[in-house]
Amino acid sequence: MTEVKAGPVPYIYVCTRMRVRKSKLIPREEYLRMLNMGLSEITRFVEETQYKKEIDELATAFHGIDLIEIALSWNLAKEYQNIQKITPGTLKDLTRAYLRRWDIQNILTIIRGKLHGERPGKIKEVLVPAGELDKAFLDRMIEEPSPERIIESLKGKAEYPLLSRLFEGGVREELLPKAENELYKQFYADLIEMARSGIKGGRQFLDYLTLDIDITNIRNMFRFRADQSGDDIMNVAIPGGTISPQMMQRLLQIKDRNEFIDALVPLIKTRVLRELLETLREEKSIREIEIDLIKVQIAEMETMSKLHPFSIHPILAYLEMKKYEIFNLRALARGKESNLSPDRIRGYLVI
Amino acid sequence: MADAATAVAATEMTVEMIKASQLGMKALGAGLAVGLTGIATGIAEMAIGSAAVGATAENKDVFGLVLLLTVIPETIVIFGLVVSLLLLF
Repeated sequence: MTEVKAGPVPYIYVCTRMRVRKSKLIPREEYLRMLNMGLSEITRFVEETQYKKEIDELATAFHGIDLIEIALSWNLAKEYQNIQKITPGTLKDLTRAYLRRWDIQNILTIIRGKLHGERPGKIKEVLVPAGELDKAFLDRMIEEPSPERIIESLKGKAEYPLLSRLFEGGVREELLPKAENELYKQFYADLIEMARSGIKGGRQFLDYLTLDIDITNIRNMFRFRADQSGDDIMNVAIPGGTISPQMMQRLLQIKDRNEFIDALVPLIKTRVLRELLETLREEKSIREIEIDLIKVQIAEMETMSKLHPFSIHPILAYLEMKKYEIFNLRALARGKESNLSPDRIRGYLVI
Repeated sequence: MADAATAVAATEMTVEMIKASQLGMKALGAGLAVGLTGIATGIAEMAIGSAAVGATAENKDVFGLVLLLTVIPETIVIFGLVVSLLLLF
């Protein structure tokens, strides 16, 4: 069969599929209903949605919270792998590059698990093989006897040069946060380089990256302000957004909240983000601020996907919304497991 | 001399010749009306069709609806056909 590779057709096809998938995500009202359900009812409800296959497959081996958590991770990984298969041309390259963040998460999870002496089965349960490193590769990594061997197994992958340099003198727990920060910085630097390389659709991808970096940097600034631990923001600041790491350092020296927001708002170009920052003048917990920032990011991605309906934006918007659906269901299940009140759980949901 | 003779011959076209020429022009116009609107319909259906296939791949229930949406640009070529028929008859 001839495959149509040129022209707008493959873009329209895949972007429409993403829109339909987005319409199938769990709506806000259902989350509100689930807040009043028990864990078993939530499991049953989830089983009736697009998670049925995973729940049915895993129901014999797991139950309760484990069943929901693993089914959700499997579903997310499968969904992301499937999207990589159906996206055409440069959209596939951009989607793959974006999904590399899951590789970083998986690598760090495996190294942490090994350092804490967790059994391979337990580590496997928390992995989400949604990126370039597939399930078989991650399984081989888990079976490696030591963290050093895990890093060696990454030879040829984008993360290897940085990890081998950082852990030259052996893998130690205290080096992991630094490795995490450096990996994400490198990840964003690679993505920006790719977006600026003249690749088709790179401009739209760069718009998304700027938004993502801005949101991450603002979140980190609020965390630093709340934490007051004296760590240097330069360690976590991601270059490439509208606020430079040096500017972040200067902004963090402002102690008064209102003055901090006054100085921050003019630097931001996104209108909804500026509006949100205005609302943050009143005292809010760091968790509330984080949830608000996520909501703004999703809203802005939705706007971008409407402005550029046949670009990378509808795909990224769906990928992010799917991620937060899983995030919400996990928060609900964990909250119910820990007997938290519905109001408390609601505070953790991105709805 | 030869050019003058040609000019004289051209001005002496018969009624039959003029009628035949008009008929030819009509046929050409009718052909263009159907051909160009056909191309326009094709372009319009390309986008709708690929979106329709995408939507059907995710949700088979929408097949009937998207089929209907896909053929809506057919009206363009039908207009072209009507114009061409009016031209010819």
